[in-house]
Amino acid sequence: MKPTDPHHSHENCLALFERLSEYIDRELDAPACKDIEAHIKACKPCQVCLDTLKKTVDFCKNLERHQVPETFSMKLKDTISELVRKKSD
Amino acid sequence: MSNPSEKTKSDDKDTELIRAINSGRQDLFYELVKRYEKSLYNFGLRMCDNPSDAEDMVQDTFLNVFKYLEGFRYETQFRNWLYRVATSACLKKKRRSKYAPDRELSLEAFLPEDESAVSVDLPRWASQPLEQVLDGELNGIIRQALLELPEKYRLVIVLRDVEGFTTQETSEILGLTPTNIKVRLHRARLFLREALKTYYETD
Ligand SMILES: [Zn+2]
Repeated sequence: MKPTDPHHSHENCLALFERLSEYIDRELDAPACKDIEAHIKACKPCQVCLDTLKKTVDFCKNLERHQVPETFSMKLKDTISELVRKKSD
Repeated sequence: MSNPSEKTKSDDKDTELIRAINSGRQDLFYELVKRYEKSLYNFGLRMCDNPSDAEDMVQDTFLNVFKYLEGFRYETQFRNWLYRVATSACLKKKRRSKYAPDRELSLEAFLPEDESAVSVDLPRWASQPLEQVLDGELNGIIRQALLELPEKYRLVIVLRDVEGFTTQETSEILGLTPTNIKVRLHRARLFLREALKTYYETD
């Protein structure tokens, strides 16, 4: 919120705050996106809010993936073969 | 996230395989298991407190898939159906999480306070390139924070952001409205962001 901008109010920030995820996910229509972009440009705290939330989402999208433990994978394979054999008997 | 054409291709491959299995080639079922065991296992790791619960979940899921595959409707995407089965396997466990008692997260709890309290500088963790910050330790922080989320929020954020399902797909998997998915997702992300902030600020 810049004190120099009379149109800025904390209410605007709160309204925007609720829609940040939809904005990040591109689920808002064009006018709503434009509103948000205009606000963000003029409001540093909201910009930080958006950027940190975006980063959080990026982290989730890039979490490391683990290998399936060998012993479990073998056990699962045996269980499945057993099942298949029973059914085709 | 895979692009749409890749997604369609893997759907076609799944459908082909399932038709073969359902027409008597049950020996091919393990092919289906191989295709998805790693992704389901990782889903299990995000959803369950410990690896052995994740293993149980994966096994229960494939047993159910085997049992109900004949009734599979070919117009649905197999992956979505698989995750619906997996989700109910998770929920059935009803094991009370030691980290995350069932509770509502309110938006108010995450609201920025008045302007003086809000940071105007992008914190370092959010300004550096992903590869530089996303190391083993941060992976651990996120994993822990996910486990601290109440299950109904955790499910949504894991399906949407970790597994890459769309809002519509997630709503079908969980049997909730898209609006409901969006509300839960937003709160779950805010919760995670708080955890990251706390971690970096007390560092
Ligand atoms: Zn603002």
